[in-house]
Amino acid sequence: MKRQLVAVAALAATLLGAAACGSNDDDSPTTSASGPVDGKGKTLKVWLMVDAQSAWKGVVDDASKRFTDATGAQVSVEYQQWANHLTKLDATLAGSDVPDVVELGNTEFPKYVFSSAFAAINPGDYENSGTWLQGLKGACDFEGKTYCVPYYAGARVLIYRTDLFKAAGIAAAPKTYDEFLADADKLQTAKKSDSKFGAVYMPGQYWYSAMSWVKSTGGDIAKQDGDKWVGQLSQPASVQGLQRWVDMVKKYSKADPTKNENDQAGIFAQGQSGMFYGNAWELGAAEQIKKDPNDPNSALVDTKVKGKLAAAPMPEVPSFLGGSNLGVTEKSQNKELAAQWIKAFTDSTSMAGLIKANALPNATALLDKAATDNPAIAPAALAAKSSWFPPNAEKWADVEKGNILQTMLTDILTGKKSVADGAKWADDQMNTTLNES
Amino acid sequence: MVVAASPRRKRVDDGVVTVGRSKAGTVVANAIGVIFSVLMLFPVYWVLNTAFKPADEVLALTPTFWPEHPTFANFTSAFKAPLFLQDMLNGLIVTVLAVAGALVVGFLAALAIARFSFYGRKAIILVVLAVQLVPFLALLIPLFLMLQTASLTNSLIGVSITYLVLILPYTVWTLRGFISGIPRELDEAALIDGCTRAQVFWRIILPLTGPGLVATSVYGFIQAWNEFIIINTLNSPAKQNLMAWLLQNQTTRGTAWGPLMAGAIITSIPVVVFFLLIQRNIATGLTAGAVKG
Amino acid sequence: MSVVESPTTRRPGGSTPHRAPGRAARPRRRRQGASTPWLLVIPTLLLLAGLLGYPLIRMIVLSFQNMRLRELLSGRTPAWVGLDNYTKVLTDSVFWTVVGRTVLFTIVCVLISVFIGLGIALLMRRVARGVRLFMIVAMMFVWALPQLVAAQIFRWITDSDFGVLNYVLNFLPGVNFDNHSWFVNPWQGWGVITTLVVWAGIPFLAITLNAGLTQVPKELVEAATVDGATPWQVLRNITLPILKPLITIVTTLSVIWDFGLFTQNWALRDGHPEPQFQTLATYSYTQAFGQSRYSIGSAISVITVLLMLGVMAFYIRQMFKIGEVD
Repeated sequence: MKRQLVAVAALAATLLGAAACGSNDDDSPTTSASGPVDGKGKTLKVWLMVDAQSAWKGVVDDASKRFTDATGAQVSVEYQQWANHLTKLDATLAGSDVPDVVELGNTEFPKYVFSSAFAAINPGDYENSGTWLQGLKGACDFEGKTYCVPYYAGARVLIYRTDLFKAAGIAAAPKTYDEFLADADKLQTAKKSDSKFGAVYMPGQYWYSAMSWVKSTGGDIAKQDGDKWVGQLSQPASVQGLQRWVDMVKKYSKADPTKNENDQAGIFAQGQSGMFYGNAWELGAAEQIKKDPNDPNSALVDTKVKGKLAAAPMPEVPSFLGGSNLGVTEKSQNKELAAQWIKAFTDSTSMAGLIKANALPNATALLDKAATDNPAIAPAALAAKSSWFPPNAEKWADVEKGNILQTMLTDILTGKKSVADGAKWADDQMNTTLNES
Repeated sequence: MVVAASPRRKRVDDGVVTVGRSKAGTVVANAIGVIFSVLMLFPVYWVLNTAFKPADEVLALTPTFWPEHPTFANFTSAFKAPLFLQDMLNGLIVTVLAVAGALVVGFLAALAIARFSFYGRKAIILVVLAVQLVPFLALLIPLFLMLQTASLTNSLIGVSITYLVLILPYTVWTLRGFISGIPRELDEAALIDGCTRAQVFWRIILPLTGPGLVATSVYGFIQAWNEFIIINTLNSPAKQNLMAWLLQNQTTRGTAWGPLMAGAIITSIPVVVFFLLIQRNIATGLTAGAVKG
Repeated sequence: MSVVESPTTRRPGGSTPHRAPGRAARPRRRRQGASTPWLLVIPTLLLLAGLLGYPLIRMIVLSFQNMRLRELLSGRTPAWVGLDNYTKVLTDSVFWTVVGRTVLFTIVCVLISVFIGLGIALLMRRVARGVRLFMIVAMMFVWALPQLVAAQIFRWITDSDFGVLNYVLNFLPGVNFDNHSWFVNPWQGWGVITTLVVWAGIPFLAITLNAGLTQVPKELVEAATVDGATPWQVLRNITLPILKPLITIVTTLSVIWDFGLFTQNWALRDGHPEPQFQTLATYSYTQAFGQSRYSIGSAISVITVLLMLGVMAFYIRQMFKIGEVD
């Protein structure tokens, strides 16, 4: 009897799935993750980003195992690289043989949600959905429905050299932005003789950082006005924030104005600067490098700054909330199974594993627990509470891919454009890109 | 090297070098030649230097011109890296299939163009020349959709066929040159001696085109081995080649320069070896005119 | 990257009159078995039509539609927009800047590489055998390096923090290249890219031209020298004219390759070239795959092909001429 019920449910799910493929996107049914699903003989295809492979593969395997025990379906996980995953995703989703679950960065999601790439889900089916981080969840919402599940987050903090702070007579991490500047001054003075030393390491195309400064003065990147998006960088409050960032970078940073933040931990580890602005895990990455970068279990080698680093929230600067979400693809033939897997991978057990691996959990309810369970991410958990995220616009991913903000920052830092001109240029570019039909 | 050691080249060389050249001029020329070679080799040397340095020496603000503690760690790291060996094998399979296929298919077409007169021959030559100039990247999306319909994405076969087509026009054109370099009198004499056309092909044209086939395969090999955008779009990481692997290795949370450079060396080795092996044929191909004269 | 240019093998038969004079004039071709040649070319034609022709037509069709991510994913036929994409591209000043930059780069790069390539080829005829061997080995290594690898090496050498270039330049008196970024000033950035392309292109040019030089009849050179011609006169009046068809071919090929520059600026700028480092190829790719403007990207590709048509026609005519000699 029970078996029959399961079979009926599976049949219904298949029919629903088939109907979803044929129907219009607006009235597609919501995929449920609550009922039992028989997945015997099926294999679920999951695309995760490489971070999961290098930092918390155990969590993935554990969730998959629990999923397989419950449903009988196998899981095949493919790890993608950030460099080119979108091109590949586009090409793959255009076909019929698609992955069932896909991870994307939170700022990448809106474009795909607007393009009907993902199926609607029922948030109530997932643990902690009541307190999902708004910065992640915002990217999933479209016309009253939810199209993805928050996965993990990262917030940026000030990471500094305790030994240099001490030598320069600074007792504690700065509590205000003015203190931060004063500390930078003291560091710079103390290391005056070293021409390569910069109090702050801040690469020029680090737009998450620059935009945080814009937010710190009440500025904004872009906002919706009716059905149009309008760039806000040339507004006085935004220009003030940009100027604040540019002044700081020009005065204290020796970093390459054409680099982004990808390599910052390794460069900071050379000991040529006193502070940098990074993810919580970058503190560890600066203190120790893997002897073999391709081996997740590699022995670690201490760098010059080992044991000399500490982290604190960047005073008065709200952090960008980065992170990833998981979605069930619209073309998936196993939507219910996919939803079940996501459920297992985002439940409290999995989140505890992520916290251990220095990632922030997907819900505010778990942030405090994260801070107490893992002191290494406590400052980041604190920073995540006052965080921001980019405009939830369909074409926002194109702004990122178009390097609009990065180009503006490099142009301003190298003196090619003034702050006002650069901001105006970026607004024009964003207005075109965000409102394109 | 074989080029310089071959007696034919020596004759030509001696002839040129002895004509009206001053000793001082030769010394200057030799000096420039050496400086040029050293400059050319510097980047190659720098990769080797980096690849043999331990991680902390690679990321040092004061670069050293010799690894203080030379290590194979970067190489073992590359070999142990996920999918490295798999992708290396894939790359070899795809390259060999594409080159072999292009040689077989291309040889037939080259034979037709070089040895037959038929209606449409000119049009075919035009097509073969023109398609070499099509920007392949622009065809990526339509190509993908097409292969997907045929269930050939995420398969080595699909990529092999794509590469085959990529190198086919060049193969046809170059082989045509080699075949028409074989004196027609040979065919005719054989036919008179009672050979069939098929025998002429097997006993005369094919053996004499041998060096040409090898020389042509160099180009195909390089093209197929070095391609990364198509395979990266069509296939998942487990079905890609080393070049695509190399591309991805650079952006996982900071660049691991040591293993990247080690990987670069390993990736280049097949091409270098191939070059050295067929080096004589490159020269043969380039100087084929002199042989035939 | 062609190693062996068939014209090289053909040239002596066609342009050195003292060798096999009758060959070029022989028009004999067999008329028998009219179906045999077609059977031979059919596999090639089918493959080309299937995997090049069909996508090519799709690309042209695409350039008259408006295909974005939504259409790509749903598989619905995108809306027809006529010439809208072309109007958009052709009226965009950014596009014309990219065209101008690509053309300028191509001219500069081709001139430098052919000039150096020829110089090295001539030098190779002049040096001692051991030195020539060294030169060939050095060039073989460079030649064998995959483009992507070569670009990564240059990215590493010019890195602003760990690069050896800044370190070495710092030894020059009176300069400070600490943390100097080579890609702030577009001229410097393009200097690096040009150096990379020229460096990687020299082996093909030098070795091919050197092979061509071995074909210059020594009797001619000797006779001229005996008659009191200076080396410069020998070069101008004997060597270069004989080498001309070969130089034309390698120059045209260089133009075609350099005009399609993609891998080098793409990799040197870490996969996201700034506006000032975009070329037509990267621009089209970024539009299509970065911004999901597949139709705009296709239109740019079509325009690129049209822009190249002049050069291509020249190349095809040149090859045709050589082909007809046989």
